[in-house]
Amino acid sequence: MNIIEIKELTKNYPLGSTIVHALRGIDFNIASGDFLSIVGPSGSGKTTLLNIIGCIDNASSGSVNIGGVEITKLNDKEITDIRLHKIGFIFQTFNLIPVLDVLENVEFPLLLMKNRSKSEVKKRAESLIDAVGLSEHIKHRPSELSGGQRQRVAIARALVTNPDIVLADEPTANLDSATGEQILELMKEMNRKEKTTFIFSTHDSNVIKYAGYVLKIKDGKMVN
Amino acid sequence: MQLIFKIAWRNIFRHKGRSIIIGIILFLGALLMTVGSSVISGMDRGLEKNIVNGFLGDIVIIPEKEKSDNILFKLYGESVDTITNYKDIKKQLIKEDDLKDFLPVGKNVTTVLNEEDGDPGFTMVLGVDFKEYCNFFPDNFQLVEGDIKNGEGKQAVIKQKMVENQETGIVIPLKTREDLYDQMNVWLIPEKSRLVEENLSEDAKDNRSELKIKNTAVFMGMSSTNSTSDIRLTVKGIIKYSALNTIWGHFAIMDIESYRKCLGYFGASEKLDIIDEEKKKLLGLETDSIENLFGSTDVLVSDSGNVEVADIDFSKKEVSVVPTSRNGSSTNVDLEAGVYNLVFVKLKDNINLEDGVKRLNSTLSSSKLGVRAVTWKKASGFIGSMATIIKGALFLFVAFLFFVAIIIIVNTLTMAAIERTTEIGMMRAIGARKAMVTGMFIGETSILSGLFGGIGLVVGIAIAQLIPLFNITSENDIVQLLFGGDTFHPFLSMGDILVVIFELIVVTLITVIYPIIVAINITPLDAISRD
Ligand SMILES: Nc1ncnc2c1ncn2[C@@H]1O[C@H](COP(=O)(O)OP(=O)(O)O)[C@@H](O)[C@H]1O
Ligand SMILES: [Mg+2]
Repeated sequence: MNIIEIKELTKNYPLGSTIVHALRGIDFNIASGDFLSIVGPSGSGKTTLLNIIGCIDNASSGSVNIGGVEITKLNDKEITDIRLHKIGFIFQTFNLIPVLDVLENVEFPLLLMKNRSKSEVKKRAESLIDAVGLSEHIKHRPSELSGGQRQRVAIARALVTNPDIVLADEPTANLDSATGEQILELMKEMNRKEKTTFIFSTHDSNVIKYAGYVLKIKDGKMVN
Repeated sequence: MQLIFKIAWRNIFRHKGRSIIIGIILFLGALLMTVGSSVISGMDRGLEKNIVNGFLGDIVIIPEKEKSDNILFKLYGESVDTITNYKDIKKQLIKEDDLKDFLPVGKNVTTVLNEEDGDPGFTMVLGVDFKEYCNFFPDNFQLVEGDIKNGEGKQAVIKQKMVENQETGIVIPLKTREDLYDQMNVWLIPEKSRLVEENLSEDAKDNRSELKIKNTAVFMGMSSTNSTSDIRLTVKGIIKYSALNTIWGHFAIMDIESYRKCLGYFGASEKLDIIDEEKKKLLGLETDSIENLFGSTDVLVSDSGNVEVADIDFSKKEVSVVPTSRNGSSTNVDLEAGVYNLVFVKLKDNINLEDGVKRLNSTLSSSKLGVRAVTWKKASGFIGSMATIIKGALFLFVAFLFFVAIIIIVNTLTMAAIERTTEIGMMRAIGARKAMVTGMFIGETSILSGLFGGIGLVVGIAIAQLIPLFNITSENDIVQLLFGGDTFHPFLSMGDILVVIFELIVVTLITVIYPIIVAINITPLDAISRD
């Protein structure tokens, strides 16, 4: 079963009087439970593609269907709800709310959903924090954590709502390579455990070995 | 909700510097607003109390011919028109349900003749029936010089003298005495009393050795419609008004009979002199207009000083005289038949001033009594408008401060929103709605304004409560107006406090609008494209 179906997706950015063609017609499907890596050099369109899948940018043309919902034609509220319920994000940096501790950050999306009791929320968040190995830091604020630990919190938070897909745009770019590998291991492990679809981008061909599938793009086009 | 509050609360501590700036501004704003409104309230209450209960009553009935409502401080020297039909007015006023009490008075400017070849003096005077006056304004003045021994300086001493002993004379405020001294070089003291050294003005002290001291003076009315006559009056006391002494201190009070004589309203023979040649021609032909002008009944005083009531019928040029004795049976009825200038009116406590004056005016005009009613605010002329000006100035001052405060807060919060772009964008990316971002900003600002504004309010209330304890007084007219009396007595009603809280809420909401607009327009993309 395909969780994501992308057809003839293009994205143009106006830049002054010219137009940047960031995506020039992307076509592919992602099956539920995949661990997909989007690989390409800097400026190839990885971020643009992930942003569109993640409903934080809109397509210029083409269609993107996530779990049966065509996302290119939704208003702000519907888009926000899709982000909340169907997608988990792991960003390069600035993943966490500075004033909330680890537990509160992980609880945050669940509290926004407003459909669980406080104790359920706490239990779920704690189990994920445990899974990413941060039980000892549950009361720490993001500023008290290392870069790798922060990414772990981000992974726990991305997964806490049981989303259809977790999107991670170069999640290891700001980490040293050892830590980066640990993070990818963890993602892979969570992909297996939680059966959640993971899509992550990287320009580092070293990390490709973790990927189940690899989508290579260059200049906004898929390459084989 | 709890989540939003938690984030807002912690953000306040995270950005301490900014919170303190906004907090201090809100604190000062609330403080100023509270103290300012307590000053205004105190002034309002003080003025109302001191004018209504101390000098004018709620409403003043004035002759219809008076162009301006400002009857109290007319251009110096301009005389006030007469009310000759007080008995008819009284009949009407008694029927009015809104009224608690009323008091007819004479009010004009008199010249004080100088018997020492110097310049004359001038003073404003009220002519009153002392008994009625002391009932209407109990203890609105104290006796500071005069026959103080058996009344401890209370108004009652004067009341006893003037009412029970049937004396005539004048009581002069400290302020008027000083003014008269400056004008005439004569220092007035009450009869049968000695000079009180410590009450001498600076100028009089400097001139102590050559001080001309008198206890009588000759007063001459300055009435443009009547010929003037003069009367020698004994000073019965030097008084001090209980409040707004520097303002009311321009008004000496004499008994109504002397007042009428002084103004030339009295006496059959004088009455004819009153009418100058031109008027005489006119009036002599038209009986109706004469009766309109003077009424059919007048109190007359002959040159010898006896009080008489006469029915004057000008058409017949006959005068029927009903003699009364000064020492015997001079009654209220006799006095009330005479000429007055104004009627002071007190409303019942539950009657709204504007409603009361409206209703009174409609009865007065429908019964064609030739008078109209004006509020104390209008009747007291510049006092009422000064109060309004002071209020307006305070309001503008506070409004300006708030304008500046709002700009600073808006600026600070907008910068905060921009600073937090990544944070807000990330929150939006993981599913926070615009309402949540809005809530965060409102939450933060509300906490700050609740906390710091609340402290400002409490401190303001404390200051307003403490100020009266210091018993701050002023002799300056304008400052007295601001105080609403002699002492600075700010006052806060529950309503005032609620208004301050309401204003604080409005300010909070105003300041937060623009930053919120900036914040909710932050998209997840704004956060990400920074990477
Ligand atoms: N907001 C933007 N405005 C204009 N051009 C953009 C914008 N975002 C990205 N681009 C351009 O689109 C292309 C793809 O960028 P991006 O998706 O960030 O690539 P990658 O993530 O693979 O480095 C690049 O040429 C980039 O310059
Ligand atoms: Mg990128």
